Amino acid sequence: MWQALHAGIEPLGFTVVTVALDIDPANATPWIDAAAPTHPSLIDTGHITNDLFGFVNVPMSVWIDEDGMIVRPAELALLEARVPRVLPPGTPERIVNMMTEVNKLPDVSVSYRAMIDDWVAKGSASEFVLSPDEVVERSRPYPMEHARAAACFELGQHLWRSVGDEAAVPWWRQAHRLNPDNWTYKRQAWTLVTTPEDADAPDLLQGPNDVYEGNWLDDVLAAGGGEKYYG
Amino acid sequence: MLLTSLSMDPLDFTARTGWTAKPQGLCQGDVCVPARGAIKVDGTLDAAVVSERLRMPLVHDEAHGLWALGPASGSKALTTAVARDPVLRDRNGDSFSLSSLRGRRTIMVAWASW
Repeated sequence: MWQALHAGIEPLGFTVVTVALDIDPANATPWIDAAAPTHPSLIDTGHITNDLFGFVNVPMSVWIDEDGMIVRPAELALLEARVPRVLPPGTPERIVNMMTEVNKLPDVSVSYRAMIDDWVAKGSASEFVLSPDEVVERSRPYPMEHARAAACFELGQHLWRSVGDEAAVPWWRQAHRLNPDNWTYKRQAWTLVTTPEDADAPDLLQGPNDVYEGNWLDDVLAAGGGEKYYG
Repeated sequence: MLLTSLSMDPLDFTARTGWTAKPQGLCQGDVCVPARGAIKVDGTLDAAVVSERLRMPLVHDEAHGLWALGPASGSKALTTAVARDPVLRDRNGDSFSLSSLRGRRTIMVAWASW
């Protein structure tokens, strides 16, 4: 879908850039290959764009104008409407509860696409293009605890790569405690321990495990449910 | 920003954080923060001083001899609307810089396999 958007607006002076927040690039490349993108399709193995642009979950986007100025800070970015999922009888209760929360996730696909269309049509005159002060003001609060969580997560990702899981986990646990609203820290770490070694794809259920204090369903419920998943 | 000692290369520091050490202090855009002692005699930056002056947390992993200097903290995730220019790699390992898109409008989308 991002490729289709790019193909449509590229002749008009726009470029879509996708960034996979994946510590292991091998997990992202099958998706990239399947999409066959003609736009820049990058892999952020260190999650550094979290700190630089304010991403705390996926999918999120920032808009950048032709002068390199951010004109919309990190926000939920959807192009396709969410389709409510109906589960067959006999589905385990935990999965049912997960899907209940998934079905509550905000759907901004219509309004987000309308914003893009407006930007394409009107350029800097679009009502959705924000001033520099508005961009800063609308970006998320960033207290010392969140900055410390970023440092802990970075230590963890370096140690995961250079030493192994055991060295990384204590730092990722700290990152989760310090910034519980950053889902990229949590989902990245959870999926590494809940995905079976012989699995073809990362585990998206990210259920209870004996390594981390949290898991997807319980943390979503603790945060206020699917409606609050993107803040 | 990962460190193996508390001395930082000024160019590495600028590339990662967007802050630059100048005679008047540590600067980003029009903002300069006085930082007496941040620049060492050998031209490197003292991570402890920078950490204190810019409210960047400094986290130490003693067992592995590593430090991580976190982002500047304060009120907001963005301190300026000027887009940072990280160098990221594509699926072939080729590097790509966002600044190469100057002159075009960009929608940068974060996603993940997980």
